Amino acid sequence: MRFITKTTLSRAVLAVSALMVLAGCGLVKPVQPWEKGTLARPEMTFEGDKLDAKFTEHIYGSKEGASGGAGVGGGGCGCN
Amino acid sequence: MTSTPLCPTAPATPAALPPLGMALLTAALCLPLAPLAQAESQPERGSITLKYLDYKDSQPGWNRIWVHAPSVAVLAPVGENWSVAGSLVSDVLSGASPAYHAEPNPFKIHEHRKAGDFTVTRYLPRGTFALGASYSTESDYVSRGITAQGSFASEDKNTTFSGGLGLTSDQINPNNKVVVNERKNITDLMVGVTQVLSPNDIAQLNLTYVHGTGYYSDPYKLLDNRPRNRNQTAMLLRWNHHLDSTDGTTRLSYRYYTDTYHVKAHTLTAEYVQPLASGWTLTPMLRFHTQGAASFYVEADGSGYPVLPPDYAPGRIVSEDQRLSAFGAFTYGLKVAKQLDKDWSMDVKVEQYQQNGAWRVFGTGSKNIAPFDARMIQLGVSRLF
Repeated sequence: MRFITKTTLSRAVLAVSALMVLAGCGLVKPVQPWEKGTLARPEMTFEGDKLDAKFTEHIYGSKEGASGGAGVGGGGCGCN
Repeated sequence: MTSTPLCPTAPATPAALPPLGMALLTAALCLPLAPLAQAESQPERGSITLKYLDYKDSQPGWNRIWVHAPSVAVLAPVGENWSVAGSLVSDVLSGASPAYHAEPNPFKIHEHRKAGDFTVTRYLPRGTFALGASYSTESDYVSRGITAQGSFASEDKNTTFSGGLGLTSDQINPNNKVVVNERKNITDLMVGVTQVLSPNDIAQLNLTYVHGTGYYSDPYKLLDNRPRNRNQTAMLLRWNHHLDSTDGTTRLSYRYYTDTYHVKAHTLTAEYVQPLASGWTLTPMLRFHTQGAASFYVEADGSGYPVLPPDYAPGRIVSEDQRLSAFGAFTYGLKVAKQLDKDWSMDVKVEQYQQNGAWRVFGTGSKNIAPFDARMIQLGVSRLF
């Protein structure tokens, strides 16, 4: 794909390196399945209220110079 | 506490760090080795959500844009390992946006945008795979997109790696005909890791990269001519922490953003979710965003007229769009939700937003441009089936 430039590649390498560092560090004690009751609560997930998130990202994306971070896609519009 | 050679060192003086600082440092730098995160699983029940957004923005002496947007979202499990999800939104927008800087455009807009998306997800024992499509149409803009996303969890499901690819193709035909049949094509890439840190803590790091080519200018602004290539990179770090003492949850996030327009931005968000008796939940939130201006943004001079750079010539890359200026912005808001019974719930969210050049941090804000305010209200009702 022609859009993959040297800069893109170096960013991808950086991203993968960051993830490897994250995965390689053993600082956190493993949490057992029976300890995950709280983690299953809706407010502990990152998805949350999807329509709310969609509205919010759409508004900030059309009123500020920055956007993204949470995922891919999202649909373009003439408001930006 | 152990560390691997990949993890530089444990903090030299851990005792000097308060527990919060230690937790953040751990989350940011060295998420646990073996076991990582919450694996996504098939929803046990389906849901349908209706939401209505009322958005209004203004600056001193001028009400700018008003948006009414009803929407619906449906999520349904299918068989034992699949789900389908979709949403529709109808945006009705009226008012006028600035012609340059914060100066009113004499032409009023009345626009109706309709958009929808659809996703099919396959759940695997330790991961997910999802394909999606989206479509958005308005009088001068049509956008079509497809996405593919996947996740893979470690054996103990304490760590989940995720990735995504999105392709979007936009067709632009401004009503004022300054251009005809313009295109914009965007490729999105995302990699992320989600890590369970403790029974009360979960963190996520996402990196997104967007490569876009085509028509990025705003056809309704004076002198707006932007580069036809824009690459955007964002790093998003999120951390949710449950407090046993109050049964509440803090949800914190930080995003760093940079792009080839030389916009650099920092965005911090904090929410606190507090369940109360009788199914009520209160969620106050605060957000701060600060950004530097695009390299081709032309500052206002206070005269109220457009500003031409000294060496201006037709075709030169310039923009006087307030959104590409340097500013800081605060949002504060409150969401109130009520679980009515085991199936029904409803919520109301009210937010107030303000941009101001004087609030920029890490640099000087843009001057001679009016502050910008927005008020957002969301009403929602949801039913499980």
